[in-house]
Amino acid sequence: MASQDIIRRSGTSGMTPAAKGRNSSEQVAKLFDATKCNGCKACQVSCSEWNDLREEVGTFQGSYQNPMSLSGQCWTLMEFHEVMESNKLRWQFTHSACMHCADPACLKACSTSGAIIQHANGVVDFDSDKCIGCGYCASACPFDVPKIDPKDNKAYKCTMCSDRLAVGLEPSCVKSCTTGALRFGSREDMLFYSEKRVAELKEKGFPKAGLYNPEGVGGTAMMMILHDITQPDSYNMPVDPQIPLSVTLWQDWVKPLGAAGLIATAAVACLHKITVGRNIVEEDQPGYQPPEEEVKDKEEDDQ
Amino acid sequence: MSKHDKQEMIVRHKLFDRICHWFIVAVGLVTFLTGFSIFFPSFQWMGAIAGTPQLARFIHPIAGLMMCLPLMLLLVRYYHHNKWEKNDLKWMLAIKDVMFENEEGIPPIGHYNPGQKVLFRTFVVTSIVLTVTGIMMWQPYFAPYFSGVVVGWAILLHAICALIMMIFVIVHFWMATWVEGSVAGMLYGKVSKAWCRKHHPLMLDEHSDVEKKH
Repeated sequence: MASQDIIRRSGTSGMTPAAKGRNSSEQVAKLFDATKCNGCKACQVSCSEWNDLREEVGTFQGSYQNPMSLSGQCWTLMEFHEVMESNKLRWQFTHSACMHCADPACLKACSTSGAIIQHANGVVDFDSDKCIGCGYCASACPFDVPKIDPKDNKAYKCTMCSDRLAVGLEPSCVKSCTTGALRFGSREDMLFYSEKRVAELKEKGFPKAGLYNPEGVGGTAMMMILHDITQPDSYNMPVDPQIPLSVTLWQDWVKPLGAAGLIATAAVACLHKITVGRNIVEEDQPGYQPPEEEVKDKEEDDQ
Repeated sequence: MSKHDKQEMIVRHKLFDRICHWFIVAVGLVTFLTGFSIFFPSFQWMGAIAGTPQLARFIHPIAGLMMCLPLMLLLVRYYHHNKWEKNDLKWMLAIKDVMFENEEGIPPIGHYNPGQKVLFRTFVVTSIVLTVTGIMMWQPYFAPYFSGVVVGWAILLHAICALIMMIFVIVHFWMATWVEGSVAGMLYGKVSKAWCRKHHPLMLDEHSDVEKKH
């Protein structure tokens, strides 16, 4: 889509950026308040409704969660985490979908120009038509979100309903949330709201409540209010997500050094050939005549 | 007729090895072009040899395997020529004389000189690493069996080995075209005795040994 509001584009040199003419739009954010979620799965269903996704019906895996992980046909998943504390069982729900990192590892790792883009509003989007299915985004993502669909070997993930956002609507999951656990608005508004909500939770007896907006990936456009910010792993969220070191080394070091190495080797080879000249075996040259046989050969040629 | 045809010739590369070599060149070219298009997104057009970017991604691992497996055959076939020998260190120290054709300063060597041995060993090691890491990152067949972290390191290693291999391929091409008679030797199998005397003097002894045995 030629949306002309692209602030970052995979596989594209900074010297030739994508169209960023319409880049004054506000940063948006989706806020998931885990302390308000009751696990009704309306978000998961409305995601599959709006995006026309139909994951195959699986089998019971000992959990209310279904399917057990995100996939090419499941971009939003209600995760059911069973937590035992002082001999009491409780559920912790995670609205699992793309985090829309400000500094997305998938986009950095992508092998194809423009297959992953970041819009001016912060949304990270896949252009499946360009995707070649290398899977680099899937292995790079610290949240394990992008999934390769075996059906067409292309990567898929939550788009934050970028098609709805483009016409001023909120994401379908937010629209259908029954408890107000999901909110959508400008990033500024969501930060303001979450600050008040976290303070409220602290008053209500959750001193460790906090906002999950990991700095390692530059913050995320999908933020979470957790009852215990010191243990995001109990919500199946990484404690300190980062762009993997392997991706940084590969893209920022190996690529430029490799290109320099290839060019330098070719340059030395050319210079050497021009400087030193041909390396020939005299005897092998056409018309070569051994000195002692010179006369005899001439006679043969004349005949 | 020129006197060229009357040169005494000896066999340097047998037919099977020549076929192996040029097969590797052909599929290697496809592997390189498609791989390069994935490594440097701006050069996606190089992968057009496969048709579309998607086909380039699909063909790359298959062409890569077709390149690496015959290379393993050549490893077996040329193993005995690539052992480290007495004169090799002296030759390496005289590398400046080799590059500038100061023939008096070059110690005599056999079928392969130490530079070629280093090249051969690099191709063997990188192709083994490329095969293993390539399988680990192969979508959609094998990559799902490994964790994202492991696949990430496999991708990095794959890129490093591919670059090392490419740099050595450039050196290989450079040397083969500089030392005239080498390409003909790999194409048609034979080199002149004069060529051997100049570039691989001890190979003549090896050759006469073989002749005596038969």
